[in-house]
Amino acid sequence: MNGEQIKQYMFVIRELTGREIKRKYARSFLGILWSVLNPLLSMTVMSLIFSTMFKRNIENYPIYYLTASILWSLFTGSTNAALTSLVDNKMMLIKVKLPMSIFPLSRCCTALVNFGYSLIAFVVMLLVFRIPPNPYMPLLLLYVAGLFFFSLGLGYMLSDLYTVFGDIKHLYSILLMLWMYMSALFYPVESTTPQMQAIILRNPIYNFISSARKSMLYAQPPNTAEWLRMLCWSAGIYLLGRLVFRKTQSKVLQRI
Amino acid sequence: MSSKGKRKGNTQERKQEIEEKGRAMKEEKQIVIDVSHVSMQFRIAGEAAGSLKEFLIRALKRRSQSRSRILNALDDISFQAREGDVVGIIGTNGSGKSTLLKIISGALEPTGGTVAVDRSKVQLLTLGTGFDMELTAKENIYLNGALIGYSREYIDKKYDDIVAFAELEGFMGERMKNFSSGMVSRLGFAIATMRDTPEILILDEVLSVGDMFFRKKSEQRIQEMIHGGATVLIVTHSMDVILKNCNYAVWIEKGKMQMAGAVREVCEGYRKYQNGRKK
Repeated sequence: MNGEQIKQYMFVIRELTGREIKRKYARSFLGILWSVLNPLLSMTVMSLIFSTMFKRNIENYPIYYLTASILWSLFTGSTNAALTSLVDNKMMLIKVKLPMSIFPLSRCCTALVNFGYSLIAFVVMLLVFRIPPNPYMPLLLLYVAGLFFFSLGLGYMLSDLYTVFGDIKHLYSILLMLWMYMSALFYPVESTTPQMQAIILRNPIYNFISSARKSMLYAQPPNTAEWLRMLCWSAGIYLLGRLVFRKTQSKVLQRI
Repeated sequence: MSSKGKRKGNTQERKQEIEEKGRAMKEEKQIVIDVSHVSMQFRIAGEAAGSLKEFLIRALKRRSQSRSRILNALDDISFQAREGDVVGIIGTNGSGKSTLLKIISGALEPTGGTVAVDRSKVQLLTLGTGFDMELTAKENIYLNGALIGYSREYIDKKYDDIVAFAELEGFMGERMKNFSSGMVSRLGFAIATMRDTPEILILDEVLSVGDMFFRKKSEQRIQEMIHGGATVLIVTHSMDVILKNCNYAVWIEKGKMQMAGAVREVCEGYRKYQNGRKK
């Protein structure tokens, strides 16, 4: 790709991402503000219900939950949106000259923009709860980058699969529910059985979440094993997704 | 290649001009679209499992009875278009016209044969596709323009022209779901044809819509493009459109090539076929 093509590529991704965001809030009065309010409201609900339950083991439960929940929303937001991206944009696929991968990609970028708004809420909450700043906090951006590529890779595969099996959409939502409980979003991993803990600790998403909690709440960097796991998962799934997508690209239009 | 039958009416002069131009070009201009022995087969219903349930059922049955049906959407289609040609592709619904277009524009890979064309120059215009009805017309111009390869600066520059040509002044802030189908297709046409030199333009049933004034205007725009050296492929089931605009016609029926050649002869054949079907 030359400079001009890259510029055009970026322009298309910006337009598609902008479109998704406008679409998402097309009928709401508060519009994009919901991206800020949503995590805050869900944090309030979860805190009301669970903070008394875990009061003894978790300090700053709302932040503990919010850290995990914004990352989890980034992951589910990207993959869920990417899943239907090829089928939804069927008509555009025929016209567009760019690689088809821009459709899942722009859906994931939309989730990333949403995450950006949630981050505003997150920072405000850090101040409200007087979490002391520490030098490891900026590492959060690295975890986000890793999680983004992990989600993108999975998104590529899902979008492709969805052109073959419409049922994947329903299966995936059930899988996500299971995955959510395996990610220890709103309870400490120690409160589960040893078998569960073993599963949760192997969960790639939990890896990102626990590293983020460590950096934000306990001023610790991830250890080497955690770094490696995050890197391998995000690079591995991303590359696998690209590979699968490239292999099947030519068949997609025949299927939808 | 071209016929010289007498035609009444004031379109005759223009028509002759087009045909002569086309003929002259055929001798000197190079081939820009070369469709050679293109076939397209789709496996339908039987093979491609649309849902997991179907897939599992089929896996359980181990495909004991192969119910896969192969549909020959296109069967051995060949024609060429030279620079400046206006080729009309005619055929009844479901004859494979749109499949052929998708193959030429590169969206589908043919299962047999080849298409030689510079895909970066091809622009496919189908009606109202690629618009997001939840967005405003303005947002759609940028979105659609970006997708078909215009840069932001270029759209900024051409924005007023597009709006004026589509006759949608004052509607640009409206969501497109409130537009009539005529308005949608006008906007689509305006965006797709605003390019300075669209080298290969493919129109899928575009010229047969809109009110009479817009139809005239869009035909005029197509003429301008032809004079600018564009190669145009028009797909339609309206013979009028073909007779008025094209200098070469291809008639496809049930995926097979029935006739190709001079516009009037092909249209005559098509008319006879249609009359035959009615009886």
